[in-house]
Amino acid sequence: MTSAGRREDASARSGPAAAPTMRAGSTYGAIDVTKSFDDVTVLHEVSVQFQPGEVHSVVGENGAGKSTLLKLMAGVYHPDSGSLMLGGETLGPLSPRDAQRRGIYLVPQEPRLMPDLSVAENLYLGALARRRFGTVAWRVMNEATGGMISSVGLRVDPRTQAGRLSLAQQQLLECARALSRGCGIIFFDEPTSPLTAHDAEKLFGLMDQLRGQGLTLGFISHRLDEVQEISDRITVLRDGAVVAREERGTATRDELVQAMIGRKLSVTRRAEPGRAPATGVLMLDVADLRIPPQVNGMSVQVRAGEIVGLAGLVGSGRTEFAETLFGLRLPAGGTVKVAGRDVTGFSPRKCIDAGLAYLAEDRGRSGIFADVDIARNESSAILARLPRRLGVFIRPRREQELARDAAQRMDVRASSISSAIKTLSGGNQQKALLARWMLAKPRVAVLDEPTRGVDIGAKESIYQIIESMAGEGLAVLVISSEMEDLIRVCDRVYAVYEGRITGELGGSDITLEAIGHLVVSAS
Amino acid sequence: MTTLAMPRRWQLPGWGLCLLLALIGELTYFTITTRYFAANGVPGILVLAEQFAPTGVLALGMAMVILTGSIDLSAGATASLTAIVCGLGLEKGYNMWLCILAALLAGTLVGLANGLLVALAGIDSLLVTLATQFIVTSVLTSLAGAEPPFNFSVTFQGLGQGAIADVPDDVLVFLVLGVATILIVNYTTLGRSIVLVGFSQRAAQYTGVATRRTLASVFTMNGAFAGVAGVLLAAYYNSAQPDTGTILLLPAITIVVLGGVDIFGGRGRIGEVIIAGFLLGYLSQGMLIEGNSSLTITMVTGLVLIGALVLKISLERNFRQALAVRLQRLRTWHPSLSRPD
Amino acid sequence: MTMAKEAEPAVRTARNIRRGPDLARLASRREVLVAMAIVVVIAISTAVHSYFWSSANISFIFADSIVVALLALGESFVMLGRGIDLSVGAIMGMSAIIVGFRIQNHGMTLLPAIALGAAIGIALGLGNALLVGVTRLPPIIATLGTFSVYSGLEFVVTNGNQVDTIPNSITNLGVHTVMPGVPILLVATLPVIIIAAFVLRYTTFGRAIYAVGDDAEAAYRAGIPVQRILFSTYVIAGLAAGLAGVVFLIHTSGASSTTGNTDNLSAIAAALIGGTALTGGRGGAFGALAGSVFLSATLTALSYVHVSDIWQPAGVGVLVLLAVIYDSRGNAVRLPRPHRRSPKEGRPQ
Repeated sequence: MTSAGRREDASARSGPAAAPTMRAGSTYGAIDVTKSFDDVTVLHEVSVQFQPGEVHSVVGENGAGKSTLLKLMAGVYHPDSGSLMLGGETLGPLSPRDAQRRGIYLVPQEPRLMPDLSVAENLYLGALARRRFGTVAWRVMNEATGGMISSVGLRVDPRTQAGRLSLAQQQLLECARALSRGCGIIFFDEPTSPLTAHDAEKLFGLMDQLRGQGLTLGFISHRLDEVQEISDRITVLRDGAVVAREERGTATRDELVQAMIGRKLSVTRRAEPGRAPATGVLMLDVADLRIPPQVNGMSVQVRAGEIVGLAGLVGSGRTEFAETLFGLRLPAGGTVKVAGRDVTGFSPRKCIDAGLAYLAEDRGRSGIFADVDIARNESSAILARLPRRLGVFIRPRREQELARDAAQRMDVRASSISSAIKTLSGGNQQKALLARWMLAKPRVAVLDEPTRGVDIGAKESIYQIIESMAGEGLAVLVISSEMEDLIRVCDRVYAVYEGRITGELGGSDITLEAIGHLVVSAS
Repeated sequence: MTTLAMPRRWQLPGWGLCLLLALIGELTYFTITTRYFAANGVPGILVLAEQFAPTGVLALGMAMVILTGSIDLSAGATASLTAIVCGLGLEKGYNMWLCILAALLAGTLVGLANGLLVALAGIDSLLVTLATQFIVTSVLTSLAGAEPPFNFSVTFQGLGQGAIADVPDDVLVFLVLGVATILIVNYTTLGRSIVLVGFSQRAAQYTGVATRRTLASVFTMNGAFAGVAGVLLAAYYNSAQPDTGTILLLPAITIVVLGGVDIFGGRGRIGEVIIAGFLLGYLSQGMLIEGNSSLTITMVTGLVLIGALVLKISLERNFRQALAVRLQRLRTWHPSLSRPD
Repeated sequence: MTMAKEAEPAVRTARNIRRGPDLARLASRREVLVAMAIVVVIAISTAVHSYFWSSANISFIFADSIVVALLALGESFVMLGRGIDLSVGAIMGMSAIIVGFRIQNHGMTLLPAIALGAAIGIALGLGNALLVGVTRLPPIIATLGTFSVYSGLEFVVTNGNQVDTIPNSITNLGVHTVMPGVPILLVATLPVIIIAAFVLRYTTFGRAIYAVGDDAEAAYRAGIPVQRILFSTYVIAGLAAGLAGVVFLIHTSGASSTTGNTDNLSAIAAALIGGTALTGGRGGAFGALAGSVFLSATLTALSYVHVSDIWQPAGVGVLVLLAVIYDSRGNAVRLPRPHRRSPKEGRPQ
């Protein structure tokens, strides 16, 4: 069949595969939207307008509400109040599918494709191109896919399994999916954080091209350099509210950082100016740890009684770093010493026994045993050390008492020690996990995002717990993307950017601005 | 400082109570309807349990495997294998205890092989044990030869047919192993690891639980339990037929599920599994006495399995909630499916 | 519509991407790999025993593989949707017995027999489909349960009798060949396999099965009726098993109450060897056929080198393990990577 014949085929059938109709973008805006999760207000009366032919970036610190805003506009969440306006029309409750039908597409941070299906099928999932008798028109679909993906700069055979694509290619495929569904409004939720600089450049090239074609583009990133490079308009969110609206060229980087974090510090500072550096024993000594590509040589030291922060954005390699300390990943190089003992490559079990504790970042999946009671959640890290009868059998009553005392010290609020941990609030779950690690009597505690998903009140008590841990002589390493956390509890702060330590701050140098500058770029 | 309540010392297990009531009802029913069932009073009813005690032992091992969220399809064949190993040794005139030891060793080795494949190679337990089941079947058929071993010494038969204070020996073995399993699961590091791995393998890894060692141990123990079941079967039937244990796989899994163990792992009580063992065992014994064929009983076993599951699911307070849990489980299998905001 | 215009040159670029028969892609397909393995097995066996390469023996290998091939075909549908059906053997047994009695005692002819077998298969498959697709029981337990129910029913139906006199007009199908080495049975079954392959490859229903197996939640969000798809896979598995029952009668000219009790596992083994993954989304119809022929050829070869029939199951077991280990190569990392991203992202050295 000639290519002309194929084209005829394509136009004769229905479905997006046959005739990819791209819609030019339209104006899409949120008006006074408010959204809370449980009792935490994430967005407060936010209004924002996305215009066709523009890249509009939303920036802000972690937890500022950027991601929630875009998800809300893409139908993933529903606003508690406020409305969404698409080209002058007010939209009712929106599901992700409705949103796509109306031409709104959210490219997630980590693309979610069917790994065993081909690129073409992934592109047209749920709306495959069909022939007269309802059979799948592979050739037509592959042709159309070829055009669609090469228009986003993805040059692979449409028959390739999606699972074989690199992460960057998968992201391009997500963009192609948006275009193939005729979506003229495309939101990118931190697309660049898992990409290399080169791949990110490619993505920007595509965004630039789409902008030229009149699409409406929304973009989230932590990296201010790239935001300034690509954006026509920048909205800065802080604590769920819009604090600044800038246009291309109207704001310098420093001004943006200022807007993102420029609030009065709502917490007290732990590190006093001029305070003498900690002199305790060196408890955690990490030298040149490498797990490419996420961690490219990080050295960190923490002394007994010291609270050290590791500031970095999502994707900067800080969690990979911590998981490697704790034996969950194998390092490619470097050494980890806990209290002078080399524990590099130890299993988590051996690390715990050597005096290391690791409060995992993803509490829901890696931290708690959701269906298990508080007591057994707490004792899970020290099974071998539980009180025994005849040296063999665990004494549950003693175990429960142990767990109860630990939980009470951590101020865990629950009706009973035998309640399933999933019934607790986020803050209480986190406190129960802290109790778990304190039961292990560690000498070094690595706390990854200790205040994530925790309400304000619980935050303060977690700060106090961390301080009391240091008071008892522990070396504490706090990893956080919330700068206030770090300022509130740290004696010293390391900044991480792309798997490297880019700076070290101590005493009165620990400021929102200083950290903010160090974590958003290599300079 | 807040105060946290300590749990009550004893809690009434709802499902276990249901099972116990059903068991009593069942015994009453058979006593009334079948003349022979209770002809010899309580000892007579206890003697009936001799026949299904090996199935119960098999179920105990299986319960631990299922608690970790795995499954072992080779346990039945392993029991057959050990029965034949034991029988062959006896036939050749070796010391009885030596033969039993050899049988247990054979079972343990099969279990260890399963465990290593599951834990180290990271292959789905369903596939591993499907394959080993085939292999074990060949080995045991080959060992058994044309004429499987039979007619053992009276002392050995005594193991399967004797009694201590009216409690038949193999029922005693079942009960002792049952108590041992309760102790292991509830009161040892291994048992706690089993449960934690069953609830969330990922969280277990992040908490320093030796997940691979736990999986390997559980399969090895299950092999050893299958070994015990095999020896009991040889003693009870006074012969070692190639299918003697193989046909017990389905009843064993049924007992575990009927006993309330969640097929996805984590949730379940061994005590309830023991009651379920008696419940299902007396059901088949009663039906046998009523003159039903063993295949009819297999069919009823299947119906009980399905019925128990349907009942359990509908008993879960809120069906939607159960579904949410299921979806969540699905997500923990696919680490890529979900992520925090 | 300026956009459509803009996209035009891009389409032309796509045409420039080299396409054509991609040999590397073809050779990496599991069906092809298994087919090559079959050739190797036959070559080696013929070298050892020249009679192995005879019309009668090759024909036997094919005829012998058909029952398992049909079962594996149905099982593949279920496994592609990330399920498992442990009852297909018993469904086949039921079909063989009921159809067998009709043929033996009432002189039923072939075509009605096939229709009856299919109907029985669908009816019993519906049982599984209801339990898994509607009641949402875990498939492994639900089908283990129905397996025992169905095999119990087999006994009830036979009432202790056997099917042992199937007229030659029917059994001849399993013996006669259309050309040397190609039994009629194979030729008659091929259309079924081809239709199945076509459904899987060229219908939206078939593609939906793959999507559900790959990621049920994403499939649901893409508007695919997940429960309905799962439901149908179990019905299809039943249908294939019902047909397998009729083939069983043709091939072995008899059936008893234990027919099919061990064939579940052979079916799963053949599907696995043929490249269908238990984790869903991967595999196909020709893989089921290739897997079964490979099993049959290997087991026949074993008997040629005087390995007793007793060791056949062990052979199957070892092959399953090898297939599974081959599939999971590279999976045996220290830990499942906490953040699974792209499959390319290798294990840190």
